[in-house]
Amino acid sequence: MRALPGESRRVPAGSKPLARKDAALEQRRRILRVTADLIAKRGYGGTTTELIVRRARVGYGTFYKFFASKEAAFLALFDETFETTGAVIAAAYGGEGDGRPWAERIGAAIRTFYAAIASDPQLWRACLVEALTAGPEVLGRYESSIRELAGLLRRGREESADAAVLPKALEETLAGGIVWIAYQRLVAGEAATELPALLPEAIQFSLSPYLGEREAAAFAARYAAESPAASP
Amino acid sequence: MSDGEGQDLGPLPAGRHGYSREQVAHNQRERLIAALAQVVNERGYNEITIADVTAAAQVSRRTFYEHFDSKEACFLGAFDVVVEHLHRLVEEACRPIPDWTDQVVAGVGTVLDFFVAEPELARLCMVDSLTAGPVAAERYRDAITGFTPLLHPGRARRDSSLALPNSTEDTVVGSLASVMTRAIVSGEGAELKRLMPDFVAFVLMPYIGPKEAHRIADEASAA
Repeated sequence: MRALPGESRRVPAGSKPLARKDAALEQRRRILRVTADLIAKRGYGGTTTELIVRRARVGYGTFYKFFASKEAAFLALFDETFETTGAVIAAAYGGEGDGRPWAERIGAAIRTFYAAIASDPQLWRACLVEALTAGPEVLGRYESSIRELAGLLRRGREESADAAVLPKALEETLAGGIVWIAYQRLVAGEAATELPALLPEAIQFSLSPYLGEREAAAFAARYAAESPAASP
Repeated sequence: MSDGEGQDLGPLPAGRHGYSREQVAHNQRERLIAALAQVVNERGYNEITIADVTAAAQVSRRTFYEHFDSKEACFLGAFDVVVEHLHRLVEEACRPIPDWTDQVVAGVGTVLDFFVAEPELARLCMVDSLTAGPVAAERYRDAITGFTPLLHPGRARRDSSLALPNSTEDTVVGSLASVMTRAIVSGEGAELKRLMPDFVAFVLMPYIGPKEAHRIADEASAA
């Protein structure tokens, strides 16, 4: 069978099934990568299936094998990014038996989140900045992610003497703040360089309502030592 | 401008209508901005065209270009007008009030009331601006920063000798904005006022602590 344009890397017939599967996964990965980069540069509206297939060097047939539409590709990108990152953040926060102080677990969670964003700003521009345009399904996922983050924070009420007087929507608001700090840097194109240095502020902001300012500031200061900006 | 401008004015009668050139231009600009807000709400920023805007405003394409270079420019014009208006409303509400914490209550209430009263403009500011290209996103960011001076007097109220991070005000306003954005996107824009006590407490907390913040927020919502 003649190769379709862009399919120069097709695995020949008769190859081992595993190699074919790897090749298919690689194509899918490439399509999603290209989708993220295009959305980051041109927005969701400016990203067409044509642009995606051309840049990913696959044929339309290949694209539609994996995704019913560009919306489906974006949803998959979003889903998989948030699922993977959610898992990594949850791992950093630790599970039921984790004996570390809650503040340390939150610090680890936020640090992991910001590290993920700083390591791939294009992907996160697509997922955080453009998510609002992408329709109700994506928005639903976005909401759940905020709620997950809020859930980790809510545990902080057990640490607080003032838990009864804390605002009901505090955790959703703090989660919004954590995202806002990252969002601004993504919009400014500075996420990779600036975001790690903002970790102490984000942590202090998130912990203050529960631990009080003094303890939150002392705790957050530990993360300043880690950030490159603090190096002598 | 030629005399053939008469038919561009829509509901304004063609020919001599007693308006000065400046008044007509101002009127047209306002109509275009209102029309943009309307069509953006209906279909989202990316889907609409200049033709959609001029049709809704009942002006000609040429008139559009007399006021704005592009769809984006019209959007930014609309955004700037709304933000300016909000600042004015908040300033008017706060001016007669001597105590800063009461000013916060008045300011938060003013913003929430405005967004409830004007759902199209609320959406334009809090949702569409985030998806209307990089310049709009930067304007949104600047608008957030623009409200931070209202919080700065709180620093004088602090008990602690600890320094509050410089970014605190920005993060507070940005956090609240993100809650409003999500509420509007979820179709709960009409109920924004319910967030009032939480919002007041959240603003006041870094300056006067959770207990005092809660007390004031509670009082404000009982009023």
